[in-house]
Amino acid sequence: MPDFTFATAQYDSGDWDSAPMVPANLIDSVARYTGIDVAPSGVIVPLGSRDLFKYPLVYMTGHLPVRLSEAERTTLKEYCARGGLLFIDDHNHDVDGQFHRTAWEEVARTLAPLEDLPNDHPIYRAFFTFPDGPPTTSHELNGWGDNLVHKHLQAVRQGDRIAVLYSSKDYSSEWDYHPDNKRFLSVDNTKFGVNLVVYALSR
Amino acid sequence: MSGTRGAHARLARARRALGLAVAGRGAAFAVATTLGLLVVGAIVDSFVVLPMPARRALLPLALASGALVLLAQFLQRIRPAWRASDEAVALWFERRLPSLHYALVTVVDPHFTTVQPALERTVESAPLESEVSRASRAILLRPVVAVLVAVLVALALLAVAPDGAVARVTAPRAGDALVRAGSDARAESDPLATIVVRVVPPAYTGLGVAAIDDPSSVAALAGSRIVVEGRGRGVTAELDSTRLVRTERDGVWRIAFAVPARASGVRLRSAARERVLVVEPYADSVPTVRLDQPTRDSVLRAAKGTLTLRAELRDDHGLAEAAFEYIVSSGAGETFAFRSGRVAARGFAAGVREGRIEGTLVLDTLKLGPGDLIHLRALARDLNDATGPGQGASETRTIRIARNDEYDSVSVDPMPPTEPEKNALSQRMLLQLTTELRGRASRIGIPAVQRESRRLAVEQAKLRRRVGEIVFERLSEDKGEHAHFAGDGHEHGAEKPLDPDQVLAAAERAASVDPTRALESEGDETPVVAVNRPLLEAYNHMWRASTELETGRPSGAIPWMERAIEALQRARAAERIYLRGRPPRVVVDIAKVRGSGREKGAPSGREARAPLDAERVSRLARFDATLGMATAEPFAAADSLLLLRLSLPTNERAAALALDAAADAVRRGGDVTAALQRARRALAGAPLRQDALTPWGN
Repeated sequence: MPDFTFATAQYDSGDWDSAPMVPANLIDSVARYTGIDVAPSGVIVPLGSRDLFKYPLVYMTGHLPVRLSEAERTTLKEYCARGGLLFIDDHNHDVDGQFHRTAWEEVARTLAPLEDLPNDHPIYRAFFTFPDGPPTTSHELNGWGDNLVHKHLQAVRQGDRIAVLYSSKDYSSEWDYHPDNKRFLSVDNTKFGVNLVVYALSR
Repeated sequence: MSGTRGAHARLARARRALGLAVAGRGAAFAVATTLGLLVVGAIVDSFVVLPMPARRALLPLALASGALVLLAQFLQRIRPAWRASDEAVALWFERRLPSLHYALVTVVDPHFTTVQPALERTVESAPLESEVSRASRAILLRPVVAVLVAVLVALALLAVAPDGAVARVTAPRAGDALVRAGSDARAESDPLATIVVRVVPPAYTGLGVAAIDDPSSVAALAGSRIVVEGRGRGVTAELDSTRLVRTERDGVWRIAFAVPARASGVRLRSAARERVLVVEPYADSVPTVRLDQPTRDSVLRAAKGTLTLRAELRDDHGLAEAAFEYIVSSGAGETFAFRSGRVAARGFAAGVREGRIEGTLVLDTLKLGPGDLIHLRALARDLNDATGPGQGASETRTIRIARNDEYDSVSVDPMPPTEPEKNALSQRMLLQLTTELRGRASRIGIPAVQRESRRLAVEQAKLRRRVGEIVFERLSEDKGEHAHFAGDGHEHGAEKPLDPDQVLAAAERAASVDPTRALESEGDETPVVAVNRPLLEAYNHMWRASTELETGRPSGAIPWMERAIEALQRARAAERIYLRGRPPRVVVDIAKVRGSGREKGAPSGREARAPLDAERVSRLARFDATLGMATAEPFAAADSLLLLRLSLPTNERAAALALDAAADAVRRGGDVTAALQRARRALAGAPLRQDALTPWGN
């Protein structure tokens, strides 16, 4: 089994598969920039499944309300306690959207309330350096979604480690393109995804 | 008890006197230390040339040493002397005057209260004051002698050293190499041993004279004058086979000449030897000009209006004047006519190195016709009256007047979008600003709150108008489907189109039935009206919010703004389309991404470096021949390196600099291996080794 397999969380309530190209795109970036032994394709893992524990980083996104079952909550709690990192990205990019509200409620109910992650957190230096914190997305800069450029990501931290990382920046839209098209970008916008993977594997 | 008080008073006086003596000794030691270090520095400098950093550090070092000595004296001697108790001072006297037989200690002892006239008489008759005077003299003697010795040595040095020799260590400056102690004697045997070169820049630069001690090569601004100075006699100089005039005054010879047009060697000759000085000119840069406006080339539909012109200017030594230049070309085919002119010309005061020119070009006055071209640029001239003036120009912008037959194909876009269009604030941003204003209200006072609140009201009204426009566009688009809603005043069956104001008025009526609750849906509404319904609600809430803001009540506006956002969210949610279905499975070819697939490719074979060309081989041979002289005849070797440097083509800049450094190193003596290695590598064309990474990391 490779050192790293990209996992997308499947949950019952919403459109968990709304950004189908993100896994391939991040796998491409991990292969491109690092020597990590990475699986060539991602897997889909139900949030309530024990298989979740095989993957150090799980990506979760969507537009629709997030309502976790009791089994999903229990598994997620144990997953984070075992050292897993759940990365949740709001595909709506909308702090008034249903995904945002319900995801925050569920995270608070399952683990702890999300809090702003300082922009000098080690995750912003885990591989590439982002001196100003999380990179902005074109969706923020174009004023879509909630018309805000979010200065911080949010996180639930357990000890000195991030257990849940939450983004309102809509990386799901930003990274949802075929990796072959990366060559048309002057600056690869998926580099922060590499930091996520390296952070998840090294903490 | 009067005898006891008298004894204490005498002891206090003695303590003060002794304390002063000890303090004086400490100060004298500090002065002696400072003076001594300066004298030693001056003496050393007369035998071995102290480098400038060492000379600059000498005075602060001497002062710091003096202060350190004073501090040590204070801690060890002065403070204990001033703080000594009466008993301690009494014991000091008892030790020095055995005839007291402990009478003084007994009298000042606080436990001794019985009156003993005999003891008091003994104390009163004791010669305490004379003993203090004797001890003070002894304390001060040694340091005063030390200071005197230092001063005497300094005076002796001043007597034998030339003017400025002491100043070399107390106030070092570039160009003081000729005033070292003993330089006259050295100059008798070798007048070229030490030279000073002064570079006098052209007057227009406003720069002062720069002095360089004992250089091998000098780079000077074209138009400068070079003055070479030295001590001794019988020196001649030659530049490009032309003998240079020498003057002498106060034992110093001077040779002055203008900087040559290209790098040249000045051959200085004395009876003892020859020395080469490389003089290299560098040019005054022409002004750099950046045309800020117009920002780009444009095509205009009609030759009317005014062009705003703006340019930034910069020069290394000073700007003289600047202007915008235009050339109008009219005609077609092979028949063209040209007109040109200058606008917004201005001059600059002496010494101004950065500036800006601004102006306008009125197109109507240029009498332009279709197809005419205007070429615009900014020009600037510098103050260079020696080799110039240098003239710089910006890039040229072209403004073209469109011909009548190309209106349908030309994109006429003379200006970027106006600012207000780009600066529309979102509802959420307005809410944030209003909430912030509410938080600051108690601090900034009512007038400021009202002022800012009205400003937000203007923004809110602007945004409301934008929402109204969207509603109008949709309703207008939908008029073919007979779109309407309850209360809009639109009579069924009447197909007369509404103008924008009527539609907005109808929308407002529809949305303002009850602003506190959402609009109830009507059974006969079309999908477009359904989509617009939340927009109309938002439109209505925005009106309430802007009314509150206009009256200076940000708190009252916030609930309406929140409802407006909520309504906007619903409008957007109504149109959102979600992707569903099985996600595609994309397999990344890791090996391909990492460039490590089966296609291994062939590594490039190692190839020998191309042989050096004949010129290089010849130069390296001359260099190698010089190496043999480097130890035995350093001055001759340095001159050979400089002559080799003069023979280099102008594009061998790195090699020229490396040879300059090598010549300097050879002349100074010591280990010259590293400098010579660099020079040889540079001559051979190999990469230069650097001591540190450049900012670019190569």
